[in-house]
Amino acid sequence: MAQASYSNQEEVDFVIVGSGAAGGIVAKELSTAGFSVVVLEQGPHLQAGDFEHDEWAYDHNTHLTWGARQGHPQTFRKTEAEIAVRGPSEPLGYAHNVGGSSVHFSGNFWRLREIDFIEASVKGTIAGTNFSDWPITYADLEPYYTKVDWEIGVSGLQGPWDPPRSREYPCPPMPVKSPGVLLERAAKQLGLNPYPAPVAILSQAHNGRPGCIHCGFCNGFGCEVNAKSSSMATMIPLALASGNCELRTGCTVNRAETNEAGRATEVVYWESDGTEKSQRGKAIVLCANGSETPRLLLLSESSRFPDGLANSSGFVGKNLMFNGYSTVHGLMDEPVNGHKSIPATRVVHDFYELDSSLGFYGGGGIDSRHPSRGTPMGFALNSSMFGGPSWGSDFKKNLKHEFTHAVAFDGHTTSLPVATNSVSLDPSAADKWGRPALRCTYSDHPDDIKTMKFFMDKSIELMEAAGAKNISGFYPETGQTGNVHLLGTCRMGDNPESSVVDRYNRSHDVPNLFMVDGSSMVTSGRGQPTMTIMALAFRAADNMIQAARRGDI
Amino acid sequence: MPASQFSRRAFLQTSTTLAKGSLILLAAPAILTACKKADEAMSSEAQGFSTLSDIEALELRSIAARIIPSDESPGAEEAGVIYFIDAVLGDYRDDEYRAVREALLEVQYNAALKFSASYFADLSTSQQDELLIEIENTAFFATIRYLTIAGMFSLPRYGGNKNKLGYELIGFDDQHAWAPPFGFYDADYTARGE
Repeated sequence: MAQASYSNQEEVDFVIVGSGAAGGIVAKELSTAGFSVVVLEQGPHLQAGDFEHDEWAYDHNTHLTWGARQGHPQTFRKTEAEIAVRGPSEPLGYAHNVGGSSVHFSGNFWRLREIDFIEASVKGTIAGTNFSDWPITYADLEPYYTKVDWEIGVSGLQGPWDPPRSREYPCPPMPVKSPGVLLERAAKQLGLNPYPAPVAILSQAHNGRPGCIHCGFCNGFGCEVNAKSSSMATMIPLALASGNCELRTGCTVNRAETNEAGRATEVVYWESDGTEKSQRGKAIVLCANGSETPRLLLLSESSRFPDGLANSSGFVGKNLMFNGYSTVHGLMDEPVNGHKSIPATRVVHDFYELDSSLGFYGGGGIDSRHPSRGTPMGFALNSSMFGGPSWGSDFKKNLKHEFTHAVAFDGHTTSLPVATNSVSLDPSAADKWGRPALRCTYSDHPDDIKTMKFFMDKSIELMEAAGAKNISGFYPETGQTGNVHLLGTCRMGDNPESSVVDRYNRSHDVPNLFMVDGSSMVTSGRGQPTMTIMALAFRAADNMIQAARRGDI
Repeated sequence: MPASQFSRRAFLQTSTTLAKGSLILLAAPAILTACKKADEAMSSEAQGFSTLSDIEALELRSIAARIIPSDESPGAEEAGVIYFIDAVLGDYRDDEYRAVREALLEVQYNAALKFSASYFADLSTSQQDELLIEIENTAFFATIRYLTIAGMFSLPRYGGNKNKLGYELIGFDDQHAWAPPFGFYDADYTARGE
């Protein structure tokens, strides 16, 4: 069936802003359930045949992620006392294309565990933070995690630490790479429990898509064979084939309008040539990611909603969480060839919850990779990490050995919700449309920094056990100044005074407005949020369908 | 900081870290049209340079040749890195190009002062290295290093990495698909039945 086409005046059932990890799923669920849907996406509809092994374009010219070059500057400051300034790159990274960042992500698909939903009750509150329980539990989300496994396509094997699952993975784990072998052997030496990394990359054909060909241009790049389980490859085709969904690309939404009754009525947007349009809908679903969703709400202020739409709690844009990280590099005697195949094939989750006797809160996981995601240019630019010169004959000689013999053990860690870490509207900088630029205010909580250091130290121990040489480690000791995990800025909760959306991702303030993306996450998890964003999207859509059918939207 | 705010001196004197100090990175480049420039870049070897003067090209290729020298294996020179640099500096980067030109004049001034030579390219390689070591913490050097490495390892369509010499140099097999084993340790893992 052909893609649907709706007029701007027609009131469709749902208008969805953003076609990424969450938006693609919500579009597919609603349209295949028979609802009329318009999806508005800022970027183009790139598909498998459009992607290339082009490091210069993707990594150095931000073809997918955009930035100031394409007219989307952002500003950054560490604290509210500072004036935010532009930096060499944008602090909040996300993709502008159909499928969003699920097109170029690394595909690490860790489920949250039971503890993630109830951790504040178990561990206690943490001063200076909004560390809280979720309004839902792992059991509430488990059916939707399984839906992600099977409908999106995940490869893996149930590990010793994994929460219970109602169904096995649809695809077996990806073949182990040398970095995975090195991590597994080192971890076993230290008495730990490494196991195959669950990934949203197909190890064999599934749902009409082929298995991975191990080309190596994975994290940061679009999959050229549709083996990576992006929402572009998995959900958008089904939404369009339903005959109920129209996907409009190159459309930048500027605000959501409301009526006298306080209900959302339409969104106003620009087409790529600047023509202003609007689209009416019975309900509006914002899936624009943890930075653009709160920005849109703040831009949609009105006399009725003076602090921004859906912001009676004052929490829109607040509690921004990133996930912390650490990385440790080393050189092996034999070829590792980490540049081939997918980013990570083994994980260590023994430190998912750090012992409270350490005196700080935190937890995370460790995986193993190539230090520059396998990219030749990125590696050469940073190759002096192994201590050699950065130019000249010895630099060149070292490159020859180091590119193929390098391995990295990376930590992925918790990030606490702090009210002053936020996405807001910059009072002076503007984007190409003249709208206030995204302003990021962020300082890692001291416990987050201690956690990152713990994971770096642990990774150094592992790297030593692996027999690596020239070992060096890094973590953001003075705090992160940006990230691609954009979480917590429209947090989910039962109490309208301390949360933006309810347990079904519906606005507490505006009954026909939903926010579905990383913004609703209450806590950060341990570093790989997309699996949870997708499960929340399936769950939210399921409840939207039920509510719409009983006339409750 | 926009490139136009770099004085010639500041460009050579700004102390930076090597990876992050490049002016091109600082200036958030406009390279959207780089793909379109590809054909021009590829044919420029026969036609000369589209942006750089012959002297500028000679000087920059001499610097690039010290960053990735030609020794027992080909270097920046054989990979045609200068054609990549020519294409990038000509791609809506007037401010950056101006800063590079002005910094080159100062490099030539240093060559004259220290070795009584008119051009950097006329110096011996050890004299060239001596001058480059003096400026290796400047934004100028970081920029040329960045462009040299980018030209060495980007797709040949952008003008450099001729015959994929850059890939060959680091053992990057430019192959579209792979099958296990990928490296020594996973082959060994399978052999041992781990």
